[in-house]
Amino acid sequence: MLPTINVNDDKCPDPLACRKCLLVCPTRVLGLGTNVSPKKYRETEPSHFIVRGVRFQACTVCMKCVEICPNGAIQVTLDRGVAA
Amino acid sequence: MCMWCERYGEGYERWYLNPANYARRLYKIRKEEIEAAGAESNPQAAGGMLGVGRDFLEASDRGDLETVQRLRKAAHDFSWTIHFGQVVTLEEVHQVLEFMYPIGLMTCACRRSMRGLPDGENFTCIGMGPGMYKWERWPDTYRGGLSFLTPEEAKETIDTLNRRGLVHCLYTFGTPYLGGLCNCDYPDCGGLRTVLDMDVRVVWKGHYIAEVDTELCNGCALCPKRCQFKALTFSSSALKAYIDPMKCFGCGLCRNVCKADAIKLVDRATLPTVANVW
Repeated sequence: MLPTINVNDDKCPDPLACRKCLLVCPTRVLGLGTNVSPKKYRETEPSHFIVRGVRFQACTVCMKCVEICPNGAIQVTLDRGVAA
Repeated sequence: MCMWCERYGEGYERWYLNPANYARRLYKIRKEEIEAAGAESNPQAAGGMLGVGRDFLEASDRGDLETVQRLRKAAHDFSWTIHFGQVVTLEEVHQVLEFMYPIGLMTCACRRSMRGLPDGENFTCIGMGPGMYKWERWPDTYRGGLSFLTPEEAKETIDTLNRRGLVHCLYTFGTPYLGGLCNCDYPDCGGLRTVLDMDVRVVWKGHYIAEVDTELCNGCALCPKRCQFKALTFSSSALKAYIDPMKCFGCGLCRNVCKADAIKLVDRATLPTVANVW
């Protein structure tokens, strides 16, 4: 059974600067990406960086990312939406 | 000799020692292919999954091997056309740096994605060839900027990264155009995660296999932690290093810390059952 990981982007304004969840995850389940393509001549705004579950097969549902997020932006659930 | 040497070697011993595979002619083709494939419109590409997604993991989780095989093949087709790597030895990297120009030191996209590593701590990636000239136009792709290196500076940089325990992989950007020299480790490299966790071969094994001479091995156990591929372990009963040739990628990192000179790289082609295990 793979867990589901939801990130509320509105509560996660600058993950590249914060990166607490990325560092706390013991198995690098989470990935930092952008929700826009790269643009010529300018860097992507911090608000366009997003965190997503990527390597679900390595997630133990330890909940460390959920606990460390200062804004409560991350939800990890197992088995059709039942809170783990 | 791997499939890529057969296709793109053109008389050179290895395909990545053929300078034509780094040439601008191929770079132009690459831009069109990548845009046609829509690679830049995929925001998850930065996650290092290279064409493998949740559907693959779910199929694998429920034991649906048919779907896993289908998705794996699709990922191979995509990756091998657009962007894949092959492990190379330190000596081979030095050879490539002799004829490549320009050489640029840049930040690693995988470690940014995996750990949000700040640019200042993240200069472990080397880009080569005409693609480097676009760095000022694409500040996001080249976050943190780019330092052009002389061949000697590049070799010193590579030697330092090798001592740190990072594996060298040459990467295509529109095969066979080679433009990336990644320095990778598990678990922070998206490529190594994909090949080792999911057996999706976005990184090909190199042309060598490491062998332990058990007469010479003094049991110091410095080498196991150098292996990024879970191929080298330490036998607690024999008190010697043990290498699984089926798992060895032939990077040579173990050999580079062996003070007893007990580890040698042998040509994969000389070992019939692993000659075509890539």
